[in-house]
Amino acid sequence: MTTEKQQETVELLLNMGPQHPATHGVFRMVLWIDGERVVDVEPHIGYLHRGSEKLCEGESYAQIVTLFDRLDYIANFNNELVVCRAAEKLMGVEVPERAQYIRVILCELNRIASHLLFYGTYGLDAGAMTPVLYAFRERERIQNLFEAVSGARMMHNFFRIGGVNEDVPPDFGQRVRRIMGELRRGMEECDRLLSFNEIFLSRTRGIGAIDAETAIDYGLTGPNLRACGVPYDVRKDDPYEVYDRLEFDVPVAEHGDCWDRYWLRVQEMYQSLHIVEQCLEQMPEGPVMAQLRRIARPPKGEVFVHCENPRGDLGVYLVSDGGPKPYRVKVRPPSFCSLMPLKHLMRGCYVADCVVILGSIDIVLGEVDR
Amino acid sequence: MLATLKGLVTTLAWAFRKPVTAQYPKQHLPIQPRYMGFPALLWDDTAGEPFCTGCMVCVRECPTQCMKAEMKDNPLQQEGKSHRRKIIERFEINWNRCILCGICVEVCNFDAIEMSHVHELGGYARAGSRVTLQELLKYGREFQERSGWKPSNPEKNVAGVALAKEKEKRQPAAAASRSEPASSNPSPGKES
Amino acid sequence: MIGREVALAAAGLVALFVGLSVVVLSLVWLERKFLGRLQGRIGPMRVGPFGLLQPVADAVKLILKEDVVPAWADKGLFWIAPILMFVPSFMVWVTIPFSRDLVIRNLDMGLFYFIAVSVVSVVGLVMAGWSSASKYAILGGLRSAAQLVSYEIPVIMAVLGVVMLAGSMNLLTVVDKQASVPYILVQPLGLAVFLIAGVAEVGRTPFDIYPAESEIVGGPFVEYSGAHWAIFFLAEYINTFVVALLVTLLFLGGWQWPHLPGVWAPVVVLVKTYLVVMVIFWFRATFPRLRIDQLMAFGWQVLIPLSFVNIVLTGIQLYYRWPSWSLSLMSLGIILAMAYWQYRTQTAPAQALARSYSQRAYSQRRGA
Ligand code: SF4
Ligand code: SF4
Repeated sequence: MTTEKQQETVELLLNMGPQHPATHGVFRMVLWIDGERVVDVEPHIGYLHRGSEKLCEGESYAQIVTLFDRLDYIANFNNELVVCRAAEKLMGVEVPERAQYIRVILCELNRIASHLLFYGTYGLDAGAMTPVLYAFRERERIQNLFEAVSGARMMHNFFRIGGVNEDVPPDFGQRVRRIMGELRRGMEECDRLLSFNEIFLSRTRGIGAIDAETAIDYGLTGPNLRACGVPYDVRKDDPYEVYDRLEFDVPVAEHGDCWDRYWLRVQEMYQSLHIVEQCLEQMPEGPVMAQLRRIARPPKGEVFVHCENPRGDLGVYLVSDGGPKPYRVKVRPPSFCSLMPLKHLMRGCYVADCVVILGSIDIVLGEVDR
Repeated sequence: MLATLKGLVTTLAWAFRKPVTAQYPKQHLPIQPRYMGFPALLWDDTAGEPFCTGCMVCVRECPTQCMKAEMKDNPLQQEGKSHRRKIIERFEINWNRCILCGICVEVCNFDAIEMSHVHELGGYARAGSRVTLQELLKYGREFQERSGWKPSNPEKNVAGVALAKEKEKRQPAAAASRSEPASSNPSPGKES
Repeated sequence: MIGREVALAAAGLVALFVGLSVVVLSLVWLERKFLGRLQGRIGPMRVGPFGLLQPVADAVKLILKEDVVPAWADKGLFWIAPILMFVPSFMVWVTIPFSRDLVIRNLDMGLFYFIAVSVVSVVGLVMAGWSSASKYAILGGLRSAAQLVSYEIPVIMAVLGVVMLAGSMNLLTVVDKQASVPYILVQPLGLAVFLIAGVAEVGRTPFDIYPAESEIVGGPFVEYSGAHWAIFFLAEYINTFVVALLVTLLFLGGWQWPHLPGVWAPVVVLVKTYLVVMVIFWFRATFPRLRIDQLMAFGWQVLIPLSFVNIVLTGIQLYYRWPSWSLSLMSLGIILAMAYWQYRTQTAPAQALARSYSQRAYSQRRGA
């Protein structure tokens, strides 16, 4: 400021989103950048707010399943599961074993589908074009199976309070076994294409690292937390459905950077396949729906239920006043919590890293905004 | 470098494999039997009328409130051709709002509505998104013919079967003829 | 007399323009089709047989589209920028031979002319970025300046290696010298440097830093639409083609093919060039994008030293009159050494990490 001519350098304010190819929906980040470096970032959410929680209060229990389908629209079954379990817990319903196995199989397949989508879009974020197409090719097999089971490729509305809507088709086991072989091959192909690619490694290793303590403070769950080395998985630590009868590993990484998060999800897909295999072996015959009254009326009370979503720990807090409609539904969305450390992750990185970091925490805006 | 080469080989291998995509409008991939397309109303051939009585249960249960129904007295019942006292007069589903959830099918006690396989409903006008009774019946007709649909509770809902049963009942006890097994009591078939 | 020359020149220009348009259209089609196949898709199929007319349809669409100029743009610069990018990519064709006779003007300093002219296009990019008055475009423009300027050096150096071998800057001579052995066998290192730097010059994956779609949504071109955008598009594809053509001429022996009569020369050149172009597309199907700082580091710390090493090796070989296979051996050795170093510093640690993670997996197996 000594001479008059000297000009002050200011930070450039760059609006990323809500219409930006890399923000995975309608999400806006305001970046203050100094050259290519990000000085600060301010996330803006709410562009996809539909008031789902409030809407739940006006709908019957059977209807809110459709609303939960649309929270995390990439992992529909997992979302349906959590709300069904909440109501079941409140009503004290015993779900038939076969239904539980069907639910677990579908949820795990959905986890694979969701992680495949992550894999594909993450490739796109890093600038690779092909992963997304390979991932969709594999995902298509799963979606096709879902269509055969539930009649819809997404937004299934298949789980019911007390079981599932319909028994699986007779050739289900066969089909699942067949696509599992194909999926494994496809996933290995995807792995080959991206996981250890040098450019990809240099783009993701050491980028957006977060340590375990901070991650816990911010309330991260799921793969994002496990990437920091905290082995927390609801399926193991608070087993629901039939997870306590299944053998599987929970992959854990250490550094909590983008590559760790990516790698973890790829490993989880293999574990999910493993789970599905066991379920198919153990699945008993029997009814798929508990004997219930036609319209669910949970008794007065409140309940909190959480399940392991592909994105983390999805919780539902349900208050019932004994009527046919819930009094209050509160969702604890894992994506929303994953977004919280955004500032922490992005400060000081490059503009290009922002995209990679945002991709690596794998948010779904439908769940963030609700 | 090794991984890079592996990646290059992976992509190149696909140049010699068959593509997985299909030429959509020319080539339709098979629809799964359970596919939930647009809901359609079904036709009772034994009476020559729709199954739907216009009872409005589906209208109340639809999560998006996209349906409308109106009932009227059933002329065919007065002629003795049907057991349905009421019949649908006007029905409308707004497919811009319908989320294809299948709840209407689940709650209907009369086997009257079913998720058909209709899914290519693109249109140019907003007004065209209101699907009327005639169209719904047409979709239902096609669905019935193509998929060999069977009512889940024929004794109660198919006019021919129900009338025959009624007759049987009436002969031993003609006095009890007023009790019609149709409406009110929920069917055990759909939701166990 | 003068009239006739002007008419001839005009006719030549029109012919060149038409030829280039055909080349670009074929490239667009080839890219979409080839990428599609690599990704398990079919690619365009609707317009014309096998979608052959798809690029034409695209071109028509682009030309008919409204040409939006942002209100805050610097209008003059905004209009000129595409032209500035296009003209150099047009001018380089003056000296590019397709066969011994099929060349507009064979310059003795052909390669020099080529390099001198092609550098100009960066001005167009920076101008486009600046004049659009959009932050994304400015970022893209600045990125392109940094990228193109730094990757020009390895390109020149790699070309220099070839010039040393051939002893001439005349493209005809360079090709003629490869009659027995194409330089790809003599100077694989030179080819690697040239191809990588060339891909970076034209901003294609993995070096598409300045148009980076998932970051700065198209960079300098983000505000362009319609015909103006089409000109950028044209220039980009021509540049890609020129890079491939130069690879053909400098390293793959141009029109040389054993036992083929001279009339086939242009065909041989074209086939080789399209193959190289397909390699570039193949890169695009496989690689993620580098980050700007990594791009600069790679350029200055790896590629430029390598290109110098290439020149030094070539010099040693020429000075001591070693047989030419010694140069290829040295080149290959260096490439392998680089690959190994890269493996040691990057891939191996990542793989070790992945292995250690697998062992840490948290499990509550029953009975365990
Ligand atoms: S519930 Fe069935 S019978 Fe009643 S109005 Fe709906 S479709 Fe018709
Ligand atoms: S499918 Fe669902 S949304 Fe559509 S009409 Fe039936 S109940 Fe309503």
